[in-house]
Amino acid sequence: MAVDWELVAFLVLSGIEVAGSVLVVVNKRLVRAAFWLAITLVTIGAIYLLFRSEFVFLIQILVYAGAVPVVLVFGIMLTRRKIMDEPASEGTP
Amino acid sequence: MTHGGSHPLLAPNLFEVCKVLTLAILGLVDVILDGLGGAIPPLADPLAGLSGFLLSPLIVALLTWLIAMTVMLLWATLFNLLTVMWIERKLYSRLQDRYGIMISIWSLPFWPFNRKDRPTHKGTGYLQNVADGVKLLQKENITPATADGAMFHASPVLIASSTLMIFVALPWSSGFYIAQLEFGLLFVLAAFSLAPFGILVAGWSANNKYTLVGGMRAAAQLMAYEIPMILAVIALTFSTGSLNLFEIVAQQDRPLAMLGPVAIPAWYAFGPQALGFLIFTVAIVAEMERIPFDIPEAEAELVEGWTTEYSGMRFGILFGFKWLRMIAGAAMIVIMYLGGWSGPVFATPIVAGVPIPIVPEEAWFLLKVWFLCVVFIWISWSVPRVRIDQILQIGWKRLVPFSLLAVLIGAGARVVGW
Repeated sequence: MAVDWELVAFLVLSGIEVAGSVLVVVNKRLVRAAFWLAITLVTIGAIYLLFRSEFVFLIQILVYAGAVPVVLVFGIMLTRRKIMDEPASEGTP
Repeated sequence: MTHGGSHPLLAPNLFEVCKVLTLAILGLVDVILDGLGGAIPPLADPLAGLSGFLLSPLIVALLTWLIAMTVMLLWATLFNLLTVMWIERKLYSRLQDRYGIMISIWSLPFWPFNRKDRPTHKGTGYLQNVADGVKLLQKENITPATADGAMFHASPVLIASSTLMIFVALPWSSGFYIAQLEFGLLFVLAAFSLAPFGILVAGWSANNKYTLVGGMRAAAQLMAYEIPMILAVIALTFSTGSLNLFEIVAQQDRPLAMLGPVAIPAWYAFGPQALGFLIFTVAIVAEMERIPFDIPEAEAELVEGWTTEYSGMRFGILFGFKWLRMIAGAAMIVIMYLGGWSGPVFATPIVAGVPIPIVPEEAWFLLKVWFLCVVFIWISWSVPRVRIDQILQIGWKRLVPFSLLAVLIGAGARVVGW
C-alpha cells in the first residue's frame, strides 16, 4: 500500500496548527501565547508550501512570522511579569 | 585555451562534488564489507545485502545531502565565522595601537608546538577564538531563578536556527550553494526577519531589567530598520525584475563603461540604485546591532543588553552568531549591489576539458565579503554610539523617506530604460 506522504505532511502540519491555535487561547502567560501564535503562523506558511506556492509561503514567513509577533510581544513586554505568573491574585506592584 | 568568464572552484555544484565524496566513502565501506564477508562465511549474505542497501540511490542521495549541508555549515561557522572574528579582534586592537590576541598553534602545551625557541604568546592569534569557545563550553549553564525557563532556553535555538537558515539560500559562487531558489532574495530576508522575535523573547524571559530594556530597544530598532531595508529591495527589483540571486549576479556580470583599458563593471551600486545601496547598507548595520547602532547591548549602561543572563555556550552562540549575521548581511550587499562572485578574470585554462580557475569565483566573493566586514568593523570602532531616540529618528524620519525616494528613482529608471 502506497502512503500518500503529502497527505501525511498536511495532517501533521494541520494538527500542529490546531494545537498551536488552541494553546494561544488557553495559555495564561502572554509571551508563550505569542510564541504559539508564531508557531501557528509558520505552520500555515508550511501548508502554503505544500500547495506549491513558494511566494505566499515566503511572504507569510516575512510578515506573519517576522513582523506580527514582534509587534505583539513589543506590546506584551510593557506589561509586568508578576501579573502574568499569578493571574488570579491581586498582588502588589 | 581559456574560458570566457570566471569559474567556480566547486563545479558544477556542491551537491555533485559531495556525491563523488559520498560514493568514495560508500565504495570503501563496500570493500570492507566484502572483505569481512569473505573472512566470515556465515555473514557473507547479510553483509552483501547491507552493501547493496547502502549503494541504493535513495541512501546515496540522503547521505549526499547530509554531507553537503555539513560542508556548508562548517564553511560558514568554522571557517568564515572564526576568520571574521579574528579579523575584527586583530583589527580593532591595531586601531587602538596594541597587538591584540596572540594565542596560536605555538601556544599548545605539548611538544612539537611548544618549543624553547618559539615564544608562546607571539603567534597570529587565530586560535584565540577556538580557545574562547572551549572555555565557554566548560562553563555552567545557569538559568536565573525567576526566569521563564522554557522560553529562556528556546530563544537561543530560535536565533541560531534562523541565522543558519540564511545559508540554505545564500550562494557563495555559481556552484557553491545548497538550494537554487526562485525567490532566494525573499527567503534570505524572511530568515533574517525571524531573529528579532527570538531577541525579544530572550530579553523578556530572563526577567531582568537590563535584558528587558535591551530587548525592547532591539525590537524598536529592528522594526524601524526592516522597513527601509525591504523598500530598498523593492527598488532593486525594479532594475532586476527577478528575486533569484543567481539571476541578479548574472545581470551585473558585464562592463558598464570603459575607462581606457579598465572596465567599470555594471554593479547595481553604480547605477540608479546607488541610493538604495546606501540605505540597505545602513539598515543592515542596524539589523546586526553593531556600533553606531548597538544601543540594545550598550555595555556601559545595560551590562550586555538582552544577552546579559545567558551563560556558557548559550552566550557563546548568541555572541558568535552576531558575526555570522554580519557575514550574511555583507554577502547580501555583495550579491545585490557589488556584483556577487563576478570579477576580473586573468585566465581560466582548460586542461583536458576541465576548466582550472586560477582565481575562482569563491575567492572574489570572499574578498568582497571580507572587505565589507572590515569596513563595518572599521566604522564600528571609529564612531560613538547613537542614542536610542536618535536611532529611531534616523530610521523613521530619514531612511524611510529616502528609501521611498529610492523606489521612485528605481521605477523612473525602469520607465526610461536606464
